[in-house]
Amino acid sequence: MAELMARCSYFFLYDGSKVRGEGDATREGICYFYPEETPLDKQELLCGQLAGVGRCVSELSSSPVRVIRLHHNKFAIRMRDDFLWALGCPVEVSIVRVCELLDQLINLYCFYNGSVRQSYQLSSQEALAARWARYLSHLQSGSSELYHVFSCLRTIDSTNVDPLLLLKAALILQACQRCPLVLAGCILFRGRVVSTQMSPEVTMKVMVHESDTYTKRPNGQNTCSSVGSAVSSTSVFLTLSELQDLQSAPVFSSYSTPHKEAPPKKTRLSRTLSDTPSTESEPSDPCSPQSPQKVSFSPHLSDVFSPVPSHSTPGPSPQSLRSPCPNGKCSHEAEEEESFYHSFHNSDVGSRQKHSSGLDDSSHLNGGDGDAACGTVFADKMVEGDSRVCCGSAVGHGAEMRDAPPPSLSGGFSKVEENPLIPMTLYIHRVKGLVLALLVEPHFLKDTVSMEEVYHSSLASLNGLEAHLRSISPGLQVPPGPYVFAHFDCIQSTLTTNLSGRPGGAPEHPFVRATSLLHSHFCNTETLQEAIIRSAGAAVYGTRSVAQETYFQQHGGSLRNSGIPNHQDSAFSLPSKARHRLLKHGVNLL
Amino acid sequence: MKCLLIASESAEVLFYWTDLEFQQNIQDQYGASQEEGQGLPAFEDSISTLFAPIIISCSTMVDRHSDGYTSFTTENNHIYVLHQFDECLYIAVNGDGEEKEDDLRRKIYVMKKMIEVQFGMVTLSGNLLRRELRPQDTEQRARLWKHLQGLLETYSQLRENDQSFLVEAVERLIHPTLCEQCIEFLERRLVQQLNTSVERAGEEVLHAFILVHTKLLAFYSSRNASTLTTSDLLALIIIAQNMYPSDVDLDDPSPEDVESTSGSGPESFYTPEPSPTERDSSSSASPEPPVRGSTPVFEFVDPDIQMAEDSLHTLEISPPDPSTPRRVFLEVSLREGLYPMMPHSMYCLPLWPGITLVLLTKISTSRVAMSVYTFLEAFDKLEKHLKDGGSPAARGHLTIHDIRSKLDKFIKALGPSDIQFAQLQNVWTEFKNRAFARGGPGFNRDLIPWCKNMKTQLCGIYRQCFFTDSGLANTHRCLSRSLQERAQTMVQEKLMDWKDFLLVKCKRNITMVSYLEDFPGLIHFICVDRSSGQMIAPSLCITERATSELGKGPVAQYIKSKVWSLVSTTRRYLQKGYSTVTLRDGDFFFCYFLWFENETGYKLEAGDIPVLPDDSPPIGMLAWDYYSRKLLRYYSKNRQGEAVKCYELLTVHLGVIPTEIILQHCRQLASKLWEPSRNPLL
Repeated sequence: MAELMARCSYFFLYDGSKVRGEGDATREGICYFYPEETPLDKQELLCGQLAGVGRCVSELSSSPVRVIRLHHNKFAIRMRDDFLWALGCPVEVSIVRVCELLDQLINLYCFYNGSVRQSYQLSSQEALAARWARYLSHLQSGSSELYHVFSCLRTIDSTNVDPLLLLKAALILQACQRCPLVLAGCILFRGRVVSTQMSPEVTMKVMVHESDTYTKRPNGQNTCSSVGSAVSSTSVFLTLSELQDLQSAPVFSSYSTPHKEAPPKKTRLSRTLSDTPSTESEPSDPCSPQSPQKVSFSPHLSDVFSPVPSHSTPGPSPQSLRSPCPNGKCSHEAEEEESFYHSFHNSDVGSRQKHSSGLDDSSHLNGGDGDAACGTVFADKMVEGDSRVCCGSAVGHGAEMRDAPPPSLSGGFSKVEENPLIPMTLYIHRVKGLVLALLVEPHFLKDTVSMEEVYHSSLASLNGLEAHLRSISPGLQVPPGPYVFAHFDCIQSTLTTNLSGRPGGAPEHPFVRATSLLHSHFCNTETLQEAIIRSAGAAVYGTRSVAQETYFQQHGGSLRNSGIPNHQDSAFSLPSKARHRLLKHGVNLL
Repeated sequence: MKCLLIASESAEVLFYWTDLEFQQNIQDQYGASQEEGQGLPAFEDSISTLFAPIIISCSTMVDRHSDGYTSFTTENNHIYVLHQFDECLYIAVNGDGEEKEDDLRRKIYVMKKMIEVQFGMVTLSGNLLRRELRPQDTEQRARLWKHLQGLLETYSQLRENDQSFLVEAVERLIHPTLCEQCIEFLERRLVQQLNTSVERAGEEVLHAFILVHTKLLAFYSSRNASTLTTSDLLALIIIAQNMYPSDVDLDDPSPEDVESTSGSGPESFYTPEPSPTERDSSSSASPEPPVRGSTPVFEFVDPDIQMAEDSLHTLEISPPDPSTPRRVFLEVSLREGLYPMMPHSMYCLPLWPGITLVLLTKISTSRVAMSVYTFLEAFDKLEKHLKDGGSPAARGHLTIHDIRSKLDKFIKALGPSDIQFAQLQNVWTEFKNRAFARGGPGFNRDLIPWCKNMKTQLCGIYRQCFFTDSGLANTHRCLSRSLQERAQTMVQEKLMDWKDFLLVKCKRNITMVSYLEDFPGLIHFICVDRSSGQMIAPSLCITERATSELGKGPVAQYIKSKVWSLVSTTRRYLQKGYSTVTLRDGDFFFCYFLWFENETGYKLEAGDIPVLPDDSPPIGMLAWDYYSRKLLRYYSKNRQGEAVKCYELLTVHLGVIPTEIILQHCRQLASKLWEPSRNPLL
């Protein structure tokens, strides 16, 4: 809770439709206010003033207010219909981040509760307040400040994990997808992603439920009696574009249609898993093996990565240089996995394309008249941060309920408002610390045959995976080298860093401060490729490509300098040092 | 779509400026909400009504949440920046993406600076300033606002086009011989002759300088003058540019240009003359019939004003006289201390279109201003002490008893003839009764309102002395018209042969051509000496007609936009404590360096630089001197007694040049540009 205090100072949801007449008290409109212990008159003051000033400015500019800054706090604002959300953070937090947090929060709420208006009609204010509080604390909890700078997925430390295990996790998910009612899934271990088939945004949302059930016993969720108490489910809501992404991924179609193939694959899968003890005894370096099979994938891989200049350079195959990816993408196994590779990488391409064309898709569905607006949104994408989430954030259940969060960003975007939320079900199968989470069609729960098939086909594998993951020692803390780095994969929303969790990752850490500034700069300036910034205490190098951002700071050495341009200055050797040092972390800056 | 608005806490509009687009937008909105058949209300009323909720919410938040708004951003990227200076709330709006939040904040600070230069210590009293900025007489108000709007537009124009206003440092014309000759001429001939003339009417020329457009050809300060700060000098250049606008886009003054820029600007001879006439002050006593459209909702006279209204009645507007100098209030540092906002007279004498001679004189009554400032400061300190619950300690350089005797003497010297002075005397007597009388309340919190009252009265005296033609300055002393004409002719004769050269030179002060051989790949640079407030940069010619080394039109325009955005980027990093920045951006490589040297040129070690919040005053020298007030003060904390100089270098290179080479270039530029000769390589 203390950490929570440090980051978000205020959050509220205000329903202007309840405060229409002269005599209506502001408090009537306050749906939720954090911190909850705030005196009511203070709550009224903030809600009333911010809502009032927001409305006034919106009228002057004919566009909703997005940010309100004060001397001590900055608020991200969302206005949709009569609702107004405001999330206030201390001024040190970058505004990109505050807006992102608010969007995530609203999207999370809609994922689990559907349209805001409807949920407030169906449930009591108190019950929903508890949920807001939960989502809020989830978004801010855990990990170091650096994770908050990038708002990335928490993944298992892949350097400690046998890549085979990652592959197995991916295979479990694929096996589940043989049931046509299963859309996609992810596997989590102790609150961290082991493998996922979903976009980072959806995975992030799913993880909230998981972390809840991980910390307390599931209550209120349906347990599926037919398959035992380890399985639960809850209803969730996807936006149209999220659904499309999940459906359009090749991995879905290729595995769901050929039902006949299922039995042999199943046996093969179980065989692979039973093999594991032998491979586990010889932990393989994720990057070294150069099997002939892999070479045969290479053309395909370079296809995948060709938009990224840094990967199209000749030399070692891109795959071997990439860090071992948590979703098993980079594992390399026997021949028969080729089809997996193929499909998985395709899905990666698919998701990448989605990032550029997903907006168009959604607008087509809405009559295709949003194209022009979408163009601008995409141009603004880097500026506004997590636009993919926002764009996907959809609205009301039907035409009569269009009250969920704003698709936001650009004024012209409001055309997509009618985007409905589609009810889906989140199926959760827990094996101790391991969780299999699947997005399934709602009638999956009634289809006992499918459900039992999914359950039984994955049970043994999950048990095996859990046992292996559990047995992995937390990993020797890599002794902090003479440098700090952070490597952010923008596509998968994952972060690799050698900056240890808490104390070192505090926001006042010079590296974190510089990284946060540079990240904002990269977000705002699309043409910026590299930057070195130096204060009296630290020189930090940042570089980015389409797919990744990397930050590097060298410790020690003489920082004594006059600040006058000098080519012998150690600050200017940071790029070459970073290239050299980070290779062993699987970060390729060539 | 741009707007700048100054409002009082009661949402009364004290000043506004908008561009046409914003005006149109407001009128459209207002038109829509108006009933059919009714005409549009006066623009001032519409703007006041539309902004009133924001202004009121702002003071509510400050009062009840002790946190005020600093900015709003909308989804279509309209930006509103708000800043409260004492009782005035400034709001700057941009809706066309041309200005960022920092630019708007800078604009607000510059506006405040221009108002200070114009109104001096009157700005220290909210009540008085409100009345100065919003004269009752609508005609007078329109005239004042038009003048201030002109200044703001001139500033914006310069900031967008002139590198010296981009980095906020003065640019000199680089021609050592001519500069030297001119300085000598100013010293030996001009200033000497003026200061020995009987026609100077008690004024003394302190500073004289010649401007070619915005660039400084020669600057001379008389020996007993305090140095003119960069901030003030830049403000004076804006004023001069506003009087005699020069079309910076034109390369050579062709005949029609001469015509268009000859003579004076529309507002060239405006003198601050804000006192109401008998006519309108009498009408202010009885409710005035609505002037245009509906009665303004927020227009009312503050009952708290304890000023002697009558004292203002006696004043008459004198017709604007071209030889009337402009009253400006500038910072003066003397042995006794620092005196901000001391009255000076500014004479802007056009020599030719684009070339102006500026004379700054000390007026005969400036000692009064110094005394007033001393008393104001003392009462301010006293008020703070009382607020903190302390007693008027003997800290500070003046004890309250010193003040008492000095103020007694001061009032006696002013003479009781005027109502304004009588008012001061009354308040002072009352103050003394409360503070010093035996058995009286003494020094406690109850005295705070009386401190405030004393400050208001002192500001009133100041206003009386320096803003009106009555009071001490009733003879309206200034350099006689013939003396001004003589000065003008003298300098014209001196520069006759040079004038065409100067106008061309001004456009191509330094050219990149001279650097290309030594610095291949270098596209542009700016070097600034923050201690002297001067900068050097190759000219950026971006007109269609002129072909510069950067090429024509779009390319040059593109590079210009890169340079402008680089400056704002590096300021952002500097604000957060980063003094070295290199960026690879598209096809370019940008460098920024800030470093310190001692007086002998020895490079000092880079030290800590303060990390400032986002809404801190803009980094620059015009509105608020970041470098001397914040940076150097912070840096030289540990270097007592040592004079520290601060330099900045910005470079733009082609991205293909190896970094080592680029850094070598930067080093060479840094060391060569400010060689003792001060003449950059040419």
